[in-house]
Amino acid sequence: MTSLDTQGDPILLEMRSITKEFPGVKALSNVSLRVMAGEIHAICGENGAGKSTLMKVLSGVYPYGSYTGDIVYQAKTQQFKDIRASEAAGIVIIHQELALIPELSIMENIFLGNEPTKWGVIDWAEARKRSLELLARVGLRDDPDTPIKEIGVGKQQLVEIAKALNKSVRLLILDEPTAALNESDSQHLLDLILGLKGKGITSIIISHKLNEIEQIADEITIIRDGKSIETLNVKRDGVDEDRIIKGMVGRTLESRFPDHEPKIGEVFFEVKDWTVGHPQIQDRLVCKGSNFYVRRGEIVGFAGLMGAGRTELARSLFGHSYGRFIKGQVYKDGKPVNLRSVKQAIDAGLGYVTEDRKSLGLNLLDDIKTTTVAAALDKISNYSVVDTRKEFSVAEEYRKSLRTKTPSVEEGVAKLSGGNQQKVVLAKWMFTDPDLLILDEPTRGIDVGAKYEIYGIIQRLANQGKGVIVISSELPELLGLSDRIYTIFEGAITGVLDKNEADQESLMKLMTSARKTA
Amino acid sequence: MNALKKLFGGNTRQFGMIFALVALIVFFQIFTEGRTLTPGNVINLFNGNSYILILAIGMVLVIIAGHIDLSVGSVAAFVGVFVALAMRDWGFPWWVGVLFGLFLGAVIGAWQGFWVAYVGIPAFIVTLAGMLLFRGFNQFVGKSNTIPVPKEFQFIGSGYLPEVGPNTGFNNLTLLIGLVAVAFVIIMSLRARAAAKALGAEVPELWVEVTKLVLICGAILYATYLFATGRPGTSFPIPGLILAVLVLIYGFIADKTVLGRHVYAVGGNRHAAELSGVQSKKVNFMVMMNMSILAGLAGMIFVARSTASGPFDGVGWELDAIAAVFIGGAAVTGGVGTVIGSIVGGLVMAVLNNGLQLLGVGADLTQIIKGLVLLAAVAFDVYNKSQGKRSITGMLMKNFQRNNEIKPDEATSTKEVISKEA
Amino acid sequence: MRMFGKAGKAAAVAAIAALALTACGRTDSGSSSSTAGGEAFPKDSLIGVALPQKTSENWVLAEKLFNDGLTGAGFKADVQFANGGVSEQQNQISAMVTKGAKVIIVGAIDGAQLGTQLKQAKDSGATVIAYDRLLLNTENVDYYVAYDNFKVGVLQGQALLDGMKAKKPSGPYNIELFAGSPDDANAKVFFDGAMSVLKPKIDDGTLKVVSGQTSFEQAVTQGWKAENAQRRADTLLTGSYGTASLDGVLSPNDTLARAVLTSVKAAGKPLPVVTGQDSEVESVKSIMAGEQYSTINKDTRKLVEHAITMVKDLQAGKQLEINDKDSYNNGVKTVPAFLLPPQIVTKENVKTAYVDDPVLGPITK
Repeated sequence: MTSLDTQGDPILLEMRSITKEFPGVKALSNVSLRVMAGEIHAICGENGAGKSTLMKVLSGVYPYGSYTGDIVYQAKTQQFKDIRASEAAGIVIIHQELALIPELSIMENIFLGNEPTKWGVIDWAEARKRSLELLARVGLRDDPDTPIKEIGVGKQQLVEIAKALNKSVRLLILDEPTAALNESDSQHLLDLILGLKGKGITSIIISHKLNEIEQIADEITIIRDGKSIETLNVKRDGVDEDRIIKGMVGRTLESRFPDHEPKIGEVFFEVKDWTVGHPQIQDRLVCKGSNFYVRRGEIVGFAGLMGAGRTELARSLFGHSYGRFIKGQVYKDGKPVNLRSVKQAIDAGLGYVTEDRKSLGLNLLDDIKTTTVAAALDKISNYSVVDTRKEFSVAEEYRKSLRTKTPSVEEGVAKLSGGNQQKVVLAKWMFTDPDLLILDEPTRGIDVGAKYEIYGIIQRLANQGKGVIVISSELPELLGLSDRIYTIFEGAITGVLDKNEADQESLMKLMTSARKTA
Repeated sequence: MNALKKLFGGNTRQFGMIFALVALIVFFQIFTEGRTLTPGNVINLFNGNSYILILAIGMVLVIIAGHIDLSVGSVAAFVGVFVALAMRDWGFPWWVGVLFGLFLGAVIGAWQGFWVAYVGIPAFIVTLAGMLLFRGFNQFVGKSNTIPVPKEFQFIGSGYLPEVGPNTGFNNLTLLIGLVAVAFVIIMSLRARAAAKALGAEVPELWVEVTKLVLICGAILYATYLFATGRPGTSFPIPGLILAVLVLIYGFIADKTVLGRHVYAVGGNRHAAELSGVQSKKVNFMVMMNMSILAGLAGMIFVARSTASGPFDGVGWELDAIAAVFIGGAAVTGGVGTVIGSIVGGLVMAVLNNGLQLLGVGADLTQIIKGLVLLAAVAFDVYNKSQGKRSITGMLMKNFQRNNEIKPDEATSTKEVISKEA
Repeated sequence: MRMFGKAGKAAAVAAIAALALTACGRTDSGSSSSTAGGEAFPKDSLIGVALPQKTSENWVLAEKLFNDGLTGAGFKADVQFANGGVSEQQNQISAMVTKGAKVIIVGAIDGAQLGTQLKQAKDSGATVIAYDRLLLNTENVDYYVAYDNFKVGVLQGQALLDGMKAKKPSGPYNIELFAGSPDDANAKVFFDGAMSVLKPKIDDGTLKVVSGQTSFEQAVTQGWKAENAQRRADTLLTGSYGTASLDGVLSPNDTLARAVLTSVKAAGKPLPVVTGQDSEVESVKSIMAGEQYSTINKDTRKLVEHAITMVKDLQAGKQLEINDKDSYNNGVKTVPAFLLPPQIVTKENVKTAYVDDPVLGPITK
């Protein structure tokens, strides 16, 4: 562990004029990047700008020869032919989708591919000793034998870093490290990265979370449309979020949310005493007698920490799709309704956009038009026979009105960017013409521009007189969208704040403590 | 060259396999000095393999839904022997026997479907148990004897269309069927084209459509000619007719009905399907029950063709059916596959068997060749798919690609959004 | 690794070691009853009979006969079918040895794959009798009792010639050859027996195999399956018999014979002379109706009866009756054999051949 690069050169990495082409498309065009030793360097840009591609070139995923330009690392021109080569040089990349195996333990994952062996037999004693050391360095006190699937995403991220430390990393690349983390885990991770900086490890962070970048980055490189636009030095240039957005977008975004005049009507959806048990653990409740209501034209936010029970509430309402239903009533337009199956829920006018669109919202084998009609096939079929013409025209309609970026609705959804995939999922639910639409983390993993569009869509739905529930972990998002916000903590609704009385602090207080009985 | 790509490219993944089938037929036709495409041989092909192809229809739906059924051979044999017994010992007339067999298949299917869909035991295990269970029942009921079946029953397995109408030198009914098929194909094609145009969707160029139609209709007419000019008394065989009807029905269901969509949805992503309102348990149950019904039908057709049930019936049929489905382009993980693809896959194996037999190749060498062909066919298909929606000719012509490449993410450019709002 | 930890691993290793040792060890096959003077083993000893798959009528009958005959003679009988294949048969023989069987009669699925179990049997002091199928490449077999399978083939070849001659006095005759499953040792024996009669006639032009498929590999029928024979017959008929007429078919058994006849009937051709074996009910009916030409009567009852006689003689310490000491070399030793004569049955003698057969007698009266 040295505090300075061994060669004493302040520039650790220089990528010069990197150009990477795919058939028909130039992903990177003369991109340059310069990272100083011991600094935290952020890379910002919209989805599709080329950030991940640049990092893949650096780490050897796109090997030497598949790009033009030079990678000069530790003052030597490198020709990485695969990931192992870059790792051997001390460059470790942690991808957005963590590369951990859920069934194996923390220790096994840390040493995967790097097992300490004595004459060909894995030396688990040695591995254990080293894992305890590594875990301590990242601030984890869990038993190394714990299977990965049993620890939360936040801790999994830390295990990935422990894995990187095991590979004697000098340059750590983190792709959207806090995307799936809650506030406290995110903060912990950022502190860790700062701590690693203190120990001489240089980091490159790709992130959309501008507030975090503002917090820890020393330099920020902005990439737009495959070109490097500018590099800002945080201290010297007095950089703040707006400045970063300006660089990413080309002009200041006046507001991140479209203007919206709420037109709120009567209460039309009410939930009383909703109690649901944990699917496996007998004595645990995931929803503790929740009560809430939604009015026509209203956007209601649900705020809470990761694991508070928001998704569980939504899914258990939506056709009892989660947990063991114990008791509770749902009223629509004053009359009680039964939502015992997903189909009943859809027929009753509910729609639910799932949290994880890839695993729960989409069949990645399908194309856009099939997905668009998937939740309301009855509307486009006669006597069970699907009318493919109607299917096509419906899908086209939504493609246009939501401005989904795709050459045609025959394209497979797997090829779309995150933002466009989310639009297709929204289209699917909008087609069912629900009265109440529940959106679970609708803008996760989506760039600024697409988020703006999705906010606009949500507001349009409200304007049509529908009720919208938005579940989100981004408080600014909830504050910008919602007319009222409910807070949830450990399965219970702890409070509700109106738009004008809510702010980050008041929300956070309610999100982190049990309801006071009064 | 680009045009050739347009001819074959687009959504049809199984064009690769049809290519292989045609190539095999041509190969054998040349090397057997013309004995492959004779009326007699073509009729034999269908007679000898219809029951496997019927199994493949059921099996592809099972595999699309993400399961597998290893019991089909044993179920087919069991139904076959039970029906034969019922007709001999209880005096069932042949049509009652057929209904009984289908009913038996449904009961067995419901049993297996229950365990798979509602209890949640993996289909592999349930049907493996079924394979042993029903093989045992087969031996128990049949006592390893062969039981002959009455002539009327044999009709469904070895019968032909009757000779009606004026003496044209051909079997008239077969001609009729062929002409109807051609007319059907042309009309559907024209309608689809008109509909696509009306919606503003992409239509392939006219000459591409015409060429495709000419090729398909040409093939149908040639096949009709072969079947109609067989030995007097033969025509398009009844098992082939049953197969064709089933292909039309199931192809329609899979492609164009809500139920079909549900099967693909459950296979593609069960959780997403459930959260979209699909009742996955019902779908799984129906798919398993349907398979056993078809297995019962296949068993009866086989017994009818063999004129008697026997203790070895059904042995190994599940593997033949599964091979046909995978050669036809289904994915091991579910969510992908077509009925017509499985038929093509089954025909590839059948033509291979038949051709090697005509050439007098010994059994040992035949097995080796079949194994290698199976591997090559699926590897070829997997390679095609891993390249995205590329067609085979696309693979050969990298420079000419305009559509269908792998693009990195399309971005929603914030600039665009803001300029629109401004 | 996660699940067991160090103590668990040690326990697992110890358990596996213990199991291995017991499997390798010698089993004590002592019996509790007493033997009279001159007797090799007690009258109520356990006799093991390991039969192959339960897939044809004669094996099903054999099971019943062995059970009845052995228990009737005062022995304890353990008769098993190995439907699961060779490995199941291996396990069954091992089990019989462990249970202390004094004589083990083996109708092998694959005669060459039981060497280890046969050695176990011999080491335990049991006598090993090969039944119907020779046990190969081992010295651990004492006797062979069977119908003369080579003679079966010869009879089939001769019957084919006789049958065709009766229909059409002079040649040349068009024939096709069918053989059994390539993984059944007997299949080759039948074929060779038949070819010993037919090959000279093929060579001198009396017989013509129109398809040209004269080798065993070309003639085999995988798994002895009727559907394979029917398909091959279909292909041969359309491939080689467009104009030519088929006079005769060598079929090694009744199931395949009926499959060939079904194919010929479906093709609308005149029925050729077809041979068979096993005297299955449907084929006997077929012969009486003038369709199948011949079958072989290998009365299972006689074979089982003789096997049981051998057991009784062994028990009493008597010398076994042997009528062939030289023909059956199994690769390691020449096994003394008692061969029963197979009987060819055609329409001529079908009425008398099965007189005392409980099943076929009533049908052929």
